[in-house]
Amino acid sequence: MKHRCAFIVTIALITMLTLVPLGMVSADGHCEFADYTITLGGLAPMSAPGAVAGGVAMDWAFKQAAADINADCGVQIDGVNYMLEVITGDSEGSPERGQAVAERLILEDEVDGMVGVYHSAVGLATMGIMEENAIPTIFSEPWNDNVSANGIIEFDGAAPRFDDGIDHIFRISPASSMVGSVVTDWLIALGVEDVVLIVENTDYGQPAAADEQARLEAAGVTVSQIDVELGTEDFVPILSRIQASAEPPDAIRIVVTGETSFNLTQQMAELGIAPTPDTICVTNQIAFQHVQYWATVPDGNYCAFNRVGIIPSLFNDTAIELNAAYEAEFGDIVPSFGMASYDAVFMMVDAMERAGSYSDAAAIVDAIEASDILLSQGRYYFTYGSHNPDLPEGTPTFMWHQWPDPIVTVMQYFEQGQSSLEAAVVYPEVYQTHGTAYVVPGTSP
Amino acid sequence: MALFQRIEARVDAGIGRRRLGYALLALIVVYFLWFPNDTTQSNYAKTVFISGFFYAIMSSSWALLAGIAGQFSFGHMAFMGIGAYVAGLAARDGFAFLTPESVSSVGAIFIGTIVAGLVGLVIGWLLLRLRSAYLALFTIAFSELFRIVMLTEYDYTGGSNGLSLRPLLQIADVDTARQVEYYLMFALLIVCLLALYWVANSPVGLFLRAMREDEDAASALGVNVVRYKILVFVFTSMIVGLAGGIFYSDIGSERIIPEQLEILQMSLIIAYAVIGGMESLIGAAAGAFIARYLLEATREVVITLPFGLTMADGADAFVWEPGAWRYALFGLVMVLTLRFMRNGLLYPIITWFSGRDIVMKETVAKRESDEDHAARLEVGDE
Repeated sequence: MKHRCAFIVTIALITMLTLVPLGMVSADGHCEFADYTITLGGLAPMSAPGAVAGGVAMDWAFKQAAADINADCGVQIDGVNYMLEVITGDSEGSPERGQAVAERLILEDEVDGMVGVYHSAVGLATMGIMEENAIPTIFSEPWNDNVSANGIIEFDGAAPRFDDGIDHIFRISPASSMVGSVVTDWLIALGVEDVVLIVENTDYGQPAAADEQARLEAAGVTVSQIDVELGTEDFVPILSRIQASAEPPDAIRIVVTGETSFNLTQQMAELGIAPTPDTICVTNQIAFQHVQYWATVPDGNYCAFNRVGIIPSLFNDTAIELNAAYEAEFGDIVPSFGMASYDAVFMMVDAMERAGSYSDAAAIVDAIEASDILLSQGRYYFTYGSHNPDLPEGTPTFMWHQWPDPIVTVMQYFEQGQSSLEAAVVYPEVYQTHGTAYVVPGTSP
Repeated sequence: MALFQRIEARVDAGIGRRRLGYALLALIVVYFLWFPNDTTQSNYAKTVFISGFFYAIMSSSWALLAGIAGQFSFGHMAFMGIGAYVAGLAARDGFAFLTPESVSSVGAIFIGTIVAGLVGLVIGWLLLRLRSAYLALFTIAFSELFRIVMLTEYDYTGGSNGLSLRPLLQIADVDTARQVEYYLMFALLIVCLLALYWVANSPVGLFLRAMREDEDAASALGVNVVRYKILVFVFTSMIVGLAGGIFYSDIGSERIIPEQLEILQMSLIIAYAVIGGMESLIGAAAGAFIARYLLEATREVVITLPFGLTMADGADAFVWEPGAWRYALFGLVMVLTLRFMRNGLLYPIITWFSGRDIVMKETVAKRESDEDHAARLEVGDE
């Protein structure tokens, strides 16, 4: 009897284990899928020394995009539905590993297209591999101008590696040169007369500061610059120098990235240097991640920051849904590179559907060039490509296969603990949400 | 008489093992030579092997410096970086009185190698008179300094976007190019290992081992300790400078970035050597190659339960990704190796094939029997 019971229980367990997944297939199985699964490779930094937090958000966005597409009957080509899978490859933020992973995705996993990439160095190193293997690619985060300009042809006088240039690479993140001017334009519009730039001593900070300084000085603004090292914890000695000056500056602009910018902003606010009615505080764009910001910078109310990517007031239905899913998963607002990675998958699928093929690289590239699609960050299109190859004089070469409309704005918190979804967009005027170019500390818009 | 016969037989066995070891080594070399011709392997597999060869050079040269000479340096990746960055800059901007046009790819790598050696000479001259932790501390500081300079002097070095080196090879066909790159890196590994072995097994190698065991005693016996420390430091700096220059000339990667010089990357080189065997050049090289291969092979390991079935929406039923834990697992292996097998996981295998365990046992047995004999003499047994 005992043996019989054990036998029945075993059979029941095996049956359940076998039927549960099958049952799920039939429950959601409103689409007939072809045997072939279309695969995209997603490059993202999932381990050190790469920016892991960025990689995790991108990986989530790839998977979310694939899930949403599959829930809507997958990729539809010539009346056939194909399941979509995005395989994330860990670039570790290293060109060498990025190249190896890109090769694995292309040669072993045989992906039909590539999306993603966070670090510019990985983008620059891997684009040659995508080009060699004719893999249509949409980069969603690297900023270096060369990614969409001359690509890896960097050596004057040396033979280019590809006779036909970089044909298969597209970018929907901004090029560095597109980001630069918005904060300085805003400060000049506000009429500031003297600005202190606190600048990280890196290849991001120094050129960005040099560019801003040139713009401000050209407008007659007095600029002084203080350099800091990334990872510094104690900024009181530096800030004391500002405090000791006879007149407080009109604005302090922090050209420092990551956690270091949080420490600096908090110490500046604690010392009563900025934000004050006399001095404007402009901190790093990472302040948009409000949960992190308020946890580390509780005194940072009224600080402004630049935002690269669509602003909350312009969120369309896709962005709202995507943001809700991201918030449910991570408890924070979806970052711009998460949105761009999500959009890159949809753009690739849209191009495959219009090209009528998942494997004809030339047709897919043509279709991406002709993209006109509304996704979470707005309407995507490409002005310059093989469909319009002649860049007018004065148009920078990075505009080749470059989405021309990434939004760059200045936002400002005006309530303690405020969500960045509710923060004021103060500049440019066309995007202003609260009818003001600046919220003076202690007031409300 | 019976004792002598037994010893003879065991030494014979050692010689037999050594022959077996050489045969196995020859087989491995033949396998590596044949590998690119395996049509079932993609270019990706060759890329992984090329990377493995590079790290094998890094690890084995560090084993000579730290394991055999006892000079615990954290500057290995920095010297590799000097070789690569100088090669890149020399090809792009020229070097001293040489114009960029007059510097070939090979010439640029040569310049990088020489500069790495010269910097090693200066640092060695300044530092290797000091002992113990000072070298480690200084080389950590030097590595960080070099990395930060490469990061901040972005006008010249490309900063965090990295520096693209002039390609060493100009082969249009991708498959042929990868095959040539593979053989080039493999040949470099063999040449470097032979050079390292030549030093380790020369009288200089004996001096290095003597210095490692007891610097004062070696000095008292007439070994110019500082000279040999500097010599091995410069030698290994040049080897890694050469490896860096070649690897980043689009053989393994098309650009070098400052993050590659981080202390985390240096710790990986040390870990490879520790796992393979710090006192064995071939062990350190094999440890690096195997570790790199396994780290790459386990990168995307995903276990899907139950039975690999998937849901209708494409999501897996239950997914476990042990690949994400590979570095943690690697760290655990290193900790266990340090605790239980200080000479590395591969060292016992290499020792067995070389027959050195027999010699060691005989030496220990002889020493013990001599000690017993002396003890018996002391108590007046005889």
